Amino acid sequence: MTFLERDAHAPQAWFGSLPAAHRYTYGLTGERFFRALKDEGKILGSYCPKCDHTYVPATVFCERCLGELTDWRDMGLVGELHTFTVLYVDYEGRPLEKPQVVGLVSFGDGGIVHFLNADPETLIIGMPMRAVLKPPAERQGSILDIQYFEPVQEA
Amino acid sequence: MTVRFKQFPGVSLSEEEFRDGKVLYQMDELKAEYAWDTGIAIGTYLAGLKRGVILGVRCSHCRKVVVPPRTVCEWCFRPMDEYVELPDTGTVNTFSLCYITWDMRRISQPEIPAVIHIDGTSELGPASVVMGGILHKLGEVDPNEVHIGMRVQAVWKPESERTGAITDILYFKPIR
Repeated sequence: MTFLERDAHAPQAWFGSLPAAHRYTYGLTGERFFRALKDEGKILGSYCPKCDHTYVPATVFCERCLGELTDWRDMGLVGELHTFTVLYVDYEGRPLEKPQVVGLVSFGDGGIVHFLNADPETLIIGMPMRAVLKPPAERQGSILDIQYFEPVQEA
Repeated sequence: MTVRFKQFPGVSLSEEEFRDGKVLYQMDELKAEYAWDTGIAIGTYLAGLKRGVILGVRCSHCRKVVVPPRTVCEWCFRPMDEYVELPDTGTVNTFSLCYITWDMRRISQPEIPAVIHIDGTSELGPASVVMGGILHKLGEVDPNEVHIGMRVQAVWKPESERTGAITDILYFKPIR
């Protein structure tokens, strides 16, 4: 056997996986934001009076003046469609049976990226979008407690 | 800057607080699968372990014998392809008593990783730099009795359970 020849009985490769489970806690601000979403079904923002700027999701300090933000506000569940895109492949790159629409819905001076439950042909930038929440018992304190956003139906 | 802080703000979280839902969190698991090409030398080595043999390789130029095998001599840069079957006995070259597992659990009986200088491999001069050192665990031994220079022998898995892995050797135990 020369040194360029492989042993036919030898394993070609070593297979393994790295156990990389992790638990992410939201921190003081995130805890308060997701607690409000879970328990009260509210989307909270925080307002900086000095910069006249509303952060959504809420933050605990102002990125502009670095001041502490104490004025937390209920932003309601209806925001404005800022932008959206249509996904045709999933996370692994496989084609999706049904294309998925995701978008940025703006609240205050910030916004939330989420799934949109709508025909992309009917979406118009700037239209009002309402967050559809899971029933309170199913909420887990996650951004997925919002199922999706959908256009506000004219009554 | 942190020297100014005598006490850091914040609290550590306990397992109970997660369990009782006192703190919100996201649990996720990365899919971190890999396949590592064993190459020629290590592939042969693993195939050897499967049949219960520790394979070393000899350099036909400088006559050094090393384990695990490699395809190029590290000392004279010539190809190495003369595999030699080595005994499964050796000498403890260095060791450690570990009271904490890889995932940071405390254990009362230590795990004992050790570099074992396999018999029949070369030594680099009088200093204890060995070329035939393989890292493995020691077993069937009182932790207080482990010492450098202790004579040990491999304890193998039953042949039917061997897969061609370094774990086909369960551990090394002292030769009494």
